[in-house]
Amino acid sequence: MTNRVNTSGARLSLVMLVMVSLFAVPAIGDELLIRITEGADSAIPVSVVPFAESGQMPSGDKISRIIQDDLKMSGEFDPLPPEQMLSLPSKGSDVYFRDWRLLGQRYVLVGQVSNSGGTLKAQYELYDVSQEKRLVGATASAPASAARTLAHHISDRVYEAITGVQGAFSTKLAYVTLERRADGPLYRLQVSDVDGKRARVRLESDEPILSPAWSPDAKKLAYVSFETGKPAIYVHELSSGNRKRVADFQGLNSAPAWSDDGRSLLMTLSKDGNAEIYRMNLASGDLKRLTNHWSIDTEPSYDHAGAGFFFTSDRSGGPQIYYKSSDGAEPRRLTFGSRYNARPRPDPTGDYVYYVHQRDRSFHIARTNLETGDETVLTRTGSDESPSVSPNGRMLIYATKSGQGSVLTVIAADGGAAYSLPASRGDVREPAWSPIVR
Amino acid sequence: MIGHERDIGDKAQAPWKSPVALSVFLHGLVMVVALAGWSWTKPDNQPPPPSISARLVTQAEPVPSPVVDTLDEPDRDQERQQAEEEKRRQEQEAERRREKERAAEARRIQQQKEQERQKKAEAERKKEQQRLKEQQAAKQKAEAEAKERARQKAEEERRKEEAARKAAEEKRRAEEERRKQEEERKAREEQERLEAERKRKQRERQLRESQLEALADEAAEERQAEERRRKEAAAAKARQAQMLTESQKYRALIQERLKRSWYPPASATRQMSVTLQITLLPTGELVRADILSRSGNSAFDNSAVSAARDVGRYPVPDDQQVFEEYFRRFSIEFNPENLK
Repeated sequence: MTNRVNTSGARLSLVMLVMVSLFAVPAIGDELLIRITEGADSAIPVSVVPFAESGQMPSGDKISRIIQDDLKMSGEFDPLPPEQMLSLPSKGSDVYFRDWRLLGQRYVLVGQVSNSGGTLKAQYELYDVSQEKRLVGATASAPASAARTLAHHISDRVYEAITGVQGAFSTKLAYVTLERRADGPLYRLQVSDVDGKRARVRLESDEPILSPAWSPDAKKLAYVSFETGKPAIYVHELSSGNRKRVADFQGLNSAPAWSDDGRSLLMTLSKDGNAEIYRMNLASGDLKRLTNHWSIDTEPSYDHAGAGFFFTSDRSGGPQIYYKSSDGAEPRRLTFGSRYNARPRPDPTGDYVYYVHQRDRSFHIARTNLETGDETVLTRTGSDESPSVSPNGRMLIYATKSGQGSVLTVIAADGGAAYSLPASRGDVREPAWSPIVR
Repeated sequence: MIGHERDIGDKAQAPWKSPVALSVFLHGLVMVVALAGWSWTKPDNQPPPPSISARLVTQAEPVPSPVVDTLDEPDRDQERQQAEEEKRRQEQEAERRREKERAAEARRIQQQKEQERQKKAEAERKKEQQRLKEQQAAKQKAEAEAKERARQKAEEERRKEEAARKAAEEKRRAEEERRKQEEERKAREEQERLEAERKRKQRERQLRESQLEALADEAAEERQAEERRRKEAAAAKARQAQMLTESQKYRALIQERLKRSWYPPASATRQMSVTLQITLLPTGELVRADILSRSGNSAFDNSAVSAARDVGRYPVPDDQQVFEEYFRRFSIEFNPENLK
């Protein structure tokens, strides 16, 4: 502990100080230590400065705007609207940290994007305002037609640089929309960016489409389609559009879930009389029954490690979440808080399980800490259903009732700020967040 | 004496003796008497015999004057008769006094003759006595001389003896004196020694006293110093407590400020901890924020440094001492306990 006395004279006070220090040292210990055990409740203030542009820019949203929305959607950032910025630097040397500090900003992203021969090239730099330090400085390029891909890529880089967690902005969402036409409902299986943009219809049907599930490589979707008049499980290769009906047994064929290796599916079948969970080897079509109970066992989902699985069972009287750690293990009940807990979805980190939770006649999305058993209700909306967690575990998407229809909403996985995806026409249901594909 | 002699010469008018013989005789007698008287009166100086002086007084005494009473005038006749009678009585008285004087004169001559005769016999006797006396004196003188010689001799002897004695005495006295001096010297020396001793002792005592005093002073000083130290320690303790209180206040302020500035990243877990060392200026401005121990997660570490740096001006006490003690350099540990 060094003590410097700058004030004039004061040898006595120095001596006193030394004495005090001598007394103080054993009493205090080493040095003052301040522990910070919690941080700001608010989102991180970040400024995505509109990128300088050169050359022909594709129509639609500007790259910096896409990035800004991505960061906002995460619920973890609070981007500063560009109109409030004091300056619009596009490279590091033009960044005056004092300005950004004055604006209360912690991070500033600056960049320039150019189009040369149909290729967009973006140079971008991320600065830590308080440390006045560049965290990221990179160049990325993409075809002019893939401007959004480029933007999401930069969002991922920015997100990871700040949070230490892989960004999930380049992932996809699969969901089902229902259009009520005059001649009957039209179901569409669609795939879009996480911000709901670039949605593409993969399957249209007059009959319901349910439970889309992404293969680990994000190249295939498994889903339930009633197109034959009865539920059957299909595996659909997105790039080619090729489909294969993998389960079409007597009774229920529902709730497919991919294994980690993508070689097998968990599914609910009632071919044996009661709804039970089976594992199907996709290559051979072999089935293995994993549950055997007189009650309904359904909605299986592998845990983050792919060893055990969560499922819904009403064996206790109402639907509750159970976990079966291995083929031979006895299922363990995880939820007790209410009479209705269903549709479990794993957390990629393995810390939580997310599910639909009924409370006071409303349905919410809740999660339970697998270690402590603490249950947290995450949504404030009612009639919430179909939760799906982003592959980085930071975001949660679910369907919720809005007016006559239903919309998809993204929230921070810990229950933070909600971000409603731009509504497609009609009802939107059954969202499924794709894995991150490198 | 001489008057006496004249008196006698004037009155000696005896017809039967020649005045020369009488004179010689008287002279001789006077001589003898004078010698004898001298010899007798030599040892003492007595006053003259009372008889002679009494006579002188009577002769010199004046006749008293009669007292006349003028107040009581007597009868003239009686007075004359009385005066006549008085005259007669005075005449008779004078006659009787003359008669008486003649008789007294005759008796006195008679007595004088007798006296002269006696005086002559006496002179004779005295002459004889003188001779005998002279003889005796010579003899006595010889004897005295012899005696004187003997006495002188004895005296000499005695003187010698005395001298010897005196010498001895002197010697003894000298001896005594020496001894006495010696003793005195010794006494003096002793006294000096004692004095020196006393002084030495006094010095020693003084020294001891001064040492004791010094010790006492030292003890007192020590006590005072102890007291001072105790007080200083107490003051320091109080000060320390005050400083601690003060420091805790600012510690809480800094904590609050950092809490607002810190955005635990998405990757943060409860197990993560990063410790920074903060160095401030007395104004609260951040000088540096160094990572003392890393969490292993760079985003987490970064969030901490970013938070520390985001606090542009730390709330620090105005009290320099408290600042120096606690806030010149301190550590912050970021460890999210309350992750949602």
